[in-house]
Amino acid sequence: MRLEKFMEVEKKLEILSDAAKYDVACTSSGVDRKGKKGTIGNTAAAGICHSFSADGRCISLLKILFSNECVFDCKYCINRASNDVPRASFTPDEVCTLTIEFYRRNYIEGLFLSSGVLKNPDFTMDLLYQTLKKLRHEYHFHGYIHVKAIPGADPILIEKVGFLTDRMSVNLELPTSDGLKTLAPSKSRKSILTPMKQIQRGIQVNKYELALYNQTPRFVPAGQSTQMIIGATPESDYQLVSVAEALYKNYDLKRVFYSAFVAVNKDSSLPVLPGGPPLLREHRLYQADWLLRFYGFQANELLSEEKPNFNVLLDPKCDWAVRHLEVFPVEVNRADYYTLLRVPGIGVKSAQRIVSARKSARLDFADLKRLGVVLKRAHYFITCLGKMMYSTKIEENYITSHMISQDKKTVWGIEHQNSFRQLSLFDDMGLAASPTLEDHLAAVSGNM
Amino acid sequence: MMTIFRCQDSFEGILSGVYDAWSSRLGHENVKLEVEAEETPELFAEYIEVPPDEEKAKKVIISVQNKISKEAYDMIFKASLSYEKERPDRIYRFLVDGFRYGRKITQMLKEDSVFHIFALDRNVSNEAHLLLGFVRFSQTGDGILVSKITPKNNVLPLIAPHFADRLSGEDWMIYDVKRKRAALHQKNKGWILADLNAEQGNMALAMADEKDMFQELWKVFFQTIAIKERINPRCQRTHLPIRYRGNMLEFPGNN
Repeated sequence: MRLEKFMEVEKKLEILSDAAKYDVACTSSGVDRKGKKGTIGNTAAAGICHSFSADGRCISLLKILFSNECVFDCKYCINRASNDVPRASFTPDEVCTLTIEFYRRNYIEGLFLSSGVLKNPDFTMDLLYQTLKKLRHEYHFHGYIHVKAIPGADPILIEKVGFLTDRMSVNLELPTSDGLKTLAPSKSRKSILTPMKQIQRGIQVNKYELALYNQTPRFVPAGQSTQMIIGATPESDYQLVSVAEALYKNYDLKRVFYSAFVAVNKDSSLPVLPGGPPLLREHRLYQADWLLRFYGFQANELLSEEKPNFNVLLDPKCDWAVRHLEVFPVEVNRADYYTLLRVPGIGVKSAQRIVSARKSARLDFADLKRLGVVLKRAHYFITCLGKMMYSTKIEENYITSHMISQDKKTVWGIEHQNSFRQLSLFDDMGLAASPTLEDHLAAVSGNM
Repeated sequence: MMTIFRCQDSFEGILSGVYDAWSSRLGHENVKLEVEAEETPELFAEYIEVPPDEEKAKKVIISVQNKISKEAYDMIFKASLSYEKERPDRIYRFLVDGFRYGRKITQMLKEDSVFHIFALDRNVSNEAHLLLGFVRFSQTGDGILVSKITPKNNVLPLIAPHFADRLSGEDWMIYDVKRKRAALHQKNKGWILADLNAEQGNMALAMADEKDMFQELWKVFFQTIAIKERINPRCQRTHLPIRYRGNMLEFPGNN
């Protein structure tokens, strides 16, 4: 690259990665694909994080917009047509070169390509198609690609792109059609759900074809995902979780991402958030999302019309447990897998380990600790060989107040991330360095 | 009196130690395995040096795979790559129980011997997984990709196959600075592990430090992708511990 050209690409990269950063999905998971002679790249089902940015989010993919020019005027979006921001567009070759060269140096796991709407949705989708085609067929890139389907684009284009990409996503943006109407007038519920349905059908048909013919090209093999903005419109947590549950059930989504609203624009129809983005709320939603996907919970078990929002002080699983003390304590040596999963402090891995370890021995509390159970949470809800760890009252208020006092620091930390940072002098001295639950979940945007 | 079998620090060396300790018939409680030069000698113990022996190691491998399981074999292989000095003895204890209980041993996490191997395996596997992402290649003038790593555990044998599959059309090298060992891959051919002498090691380091324009572009991307309103260094540190940052160009302060 000549210096002049390099400066130009550097400028574009700065503008177009800055414009893409509010999209949370950066996962590279969901498909295992071996390398192939004559091509560059492979994919790993678990996904691989290549770095972590200063906000603690995983960097797995080269996340960029093709262009941040946009004819839409969505009020929450930094790239809205009426904003006066520097604009730029890549060429397909620039995107390909950046992807390949970053990939060779192992900076990234692949490409995440999105775009503002240039001229119209079809024109934009076609540009994305041309870029991916070049990357796959001329640059022989065999690694991970995640691409956005532009709402309103021709289904034929979406289908063609689906055979080049690993994951596709259409952002729901706002959980209700009312919210969309106010904040994203150029998008409608229908223009978002139509491509989602199309991708879902495409994946189903492709699975059937793959079963018949081995050589069939794969359509969106890593599945589709979506994203909702949290806190820009007045929906309750119950509405959000119910929408997520419906998306998992009716659209077979792999992931729903939640993005705490960051006020990048001043607009009378947007909320003012003096405390910064609603990070704790986003955190609670991710916790609930995990419960839906891996723990066998239903949305209406966690929340209801009468209790539409998550407890600020307790995580959703503890909150559920203290409201259902009638099922506790459970005997660790006998309870089935799904019952174990409902105990606060026992996760998927530790539940699996318990089930396998107890085949050959009876487990006591010391064993549980080794297996990764968080006893300071779990001990209220379990017995080992008929005994509880301490003589504890099984009573809602008592347990709640004890667990809340344990959690206070975590909750405060999430709510006051910025002020907390100023105190990190103490943190650096190793006083509170052990990773907490929110650390693990904060990387949710990229880890799975 | 305790008899201590000192083995060479390699999978083959440790398994040779297992073979000799076992066939010494001194009784499992009277023998201990150590890796050369990592322990200060004990006063009241007899030391036996174990030379690595391919035949013996092979015999142990075949017995483990047939009489215990492939999974158990996989676990002891990874445990042998651990940095913890107890690793040879832990492998020995695990195999004592493994040959007694057979296939189900890998589920018996309550047993100390099993838990220790499980913990070593997990630690090594986790670090290997992290490095799949954290390895950074520099490109030399000849188009060779060179990376230097300083992992706690000896993860090179675990990560090299991944890069051989991914970058099959490239010449590349990953150099483990601490162990002075490199994985070398030749374009469209296989990869090998090689011990480097001082001169080769310095050459590898110099190559890993070569600069090009894409490094500048990567730094720009790394800076802009963070959302200022969400800055959270503690979370960043949990996922990307400081000790890895020295070899990652996007963290210039740690080089």
